[in-house]
Amino acid sequence: MAKRIILGAVAVLLVIASAYASFYIAPEERTMGVIQRIFYFHVGSAWAGMDAFLVCFIANLLYVWRRQEKYDWLGVSSAEVGLVLTTVVLITGPIWAHPVWGIWWTWDARLTSTFVLWLLYVSYLLLRTLVEEQDRRALLSSLFGIFAFLDVPLVFGAIRWWRTQHPSPVIMGGQGSGLDPTMKKVFFFTVLAMNVFAGFLIVERYILEKLKHEVDILQREAEAQ
Amino acid sequence: MSLLSNTATLLGKELRTEFRSRELLTTTVVFILVVLILFSFAISPTAEESREFGPGLLWLAILFAASLMLQPCFLREQSNDTLSSLRLAVDDPFAIFLAKLVANTLFLLLTEILMLPLFAVFYNIPILPQLRYLLLVLLLGSLGISIAGTALSAISAQARMRELLLPLLLLPLLTPILVVSATVSVSLLEREPVVLWKGIGFLAIFDLVFLTALWLFGEYLLEE
Amino acid sequence: MKNLDSVFAAYIIGWGVFFLFYLTIAKRTSDLRTEIERLRALLPRGK
Repeated sequence: MAKRIILGAVAVLLVIASAYASFYIAPEERTMGVIQRIFYFHVGSAWAGMDAFLVCFIANLLYVWRRQEKYDWLGVSSAEVGLVLTTVVLITGPIWAHPVWGIWWTWDARLTSTFVLWLLYVSYLLLRTLVEEQDRRALLSSLFGIFAFLDVPLVFGAIRWWRTQHPSPVIMGGQGSGLDPTMKKVFFFTVLAMNVFAGFLIVERYILEKLKHEVDILQREAEAQ
Repeated sequence: MSLLSNTATLLGKELRTEFRSRELLTTTVVFILVVLILFSFAISPTAEESREFGPGLLWLAILFAASLMLQPCFLREQSNDTLSSLRLAVDDPFAIFLAKLVANTLFLLLTEILMLPLFAVFYNIPILPQLRYLLLVLLLGSLGISIAGTALSAISAQARMRELLLPLLLLPLLTPILVVSATVSVSLLEREPVVLWKGIGFLAIFDLVFLTALWLFGEYLLEE
Repeated sequence: MKNLDSVFAAYIIGWGVFFLFYLTIAKRTSDLRTEIERLRALLPRGK
């Protein structure tokens, strides 16, 4: 219990620190001005989301191999957290785009790929609601989760190649557009903070899943009387 | 070698089952046709627009059609529980998948080839000059659709709302196929055609990745 | 500082989403804990 509180506190502190750094330590970007500061939060969430989906992938593999329910709990927890993070990416993207480009959405490579990623994991969670039996649900969603994660690099690669064929406005000024060294440090610090925060959310969600299981067992014991 | 002979036998069964009634093929062809026509009504393309958007719309129609065509793949093994018999009949469960995905690829390809002349006429796009490259893209794309579709169809057959679930699972997963196949096709059918070998290579990689994944995890998809 | 409100909007909405997510988890967790206590209280009688 104490460990959870410490993790939560550390996560919150890191996040506050990274927000401070994003506003006061990072220099202002030349062309876009203050709006560019969304970048740290936006891309930080994106990377943390991908890490959450990576955790989900590993949990899925472990479940198929070991068939222990804790891996299924970890799978659904990390998928949900990843989805929440990805949702925030999709919300902050247009908020960034609109003042800069005057449009809410553009089929820019990263935003489009993120949207497909979002759809994949929404499908993962939807699949889970459509299979009632626990073990079967765990197995089927783990298998789909594995296929979905293997698809992710293919999605990003395909869409990036597609955009080189048909260029369109790039929202984030391209990843490799040379970040100033201070910006880089603030960025990686934000990535760290978002990852720790994601980890904290995954732990809390995992505990919820574990408790659900406990309630199920107790309910069945109570009915058996 | 028993994998190949098992697969061949099962493939024969799949093909015979379909050609007996040909219902899958005919309905799929008609479906793609209807989708293409509806696109024209919705967009009213000019001749130039037809050339630009046509191939992409063709692939979209193929994807929709495939997500319907793949429904019966494992569903039909549920009545009379033929799936258990199949599993007993083969040493390697991968044979079942291999047979089904080859059959599905063939059905898709057949449908597409039947559609091509109609597509060329309706969208005013000459397809003969680049036919062999076009067929290559159709082959690799259809293979990708079948591999992923066969695997996912095994999953959705075991869930509720399977008619809606299969497209829901399949379409996001197949985004790379749609994007790349459409882009390569458009480029092939331009006034000055270009063969985008990188795209074709990408399709091959997609097929390889999912074929390997199916090989590794297929048996779990068929668990009781 | 013309776009500052967009930046704030992004941070507030983003963190709002995270906070809401955490709140739903926390609430469901505490509901389940009470449910577990209730069920545990029921059981020893039968044992």
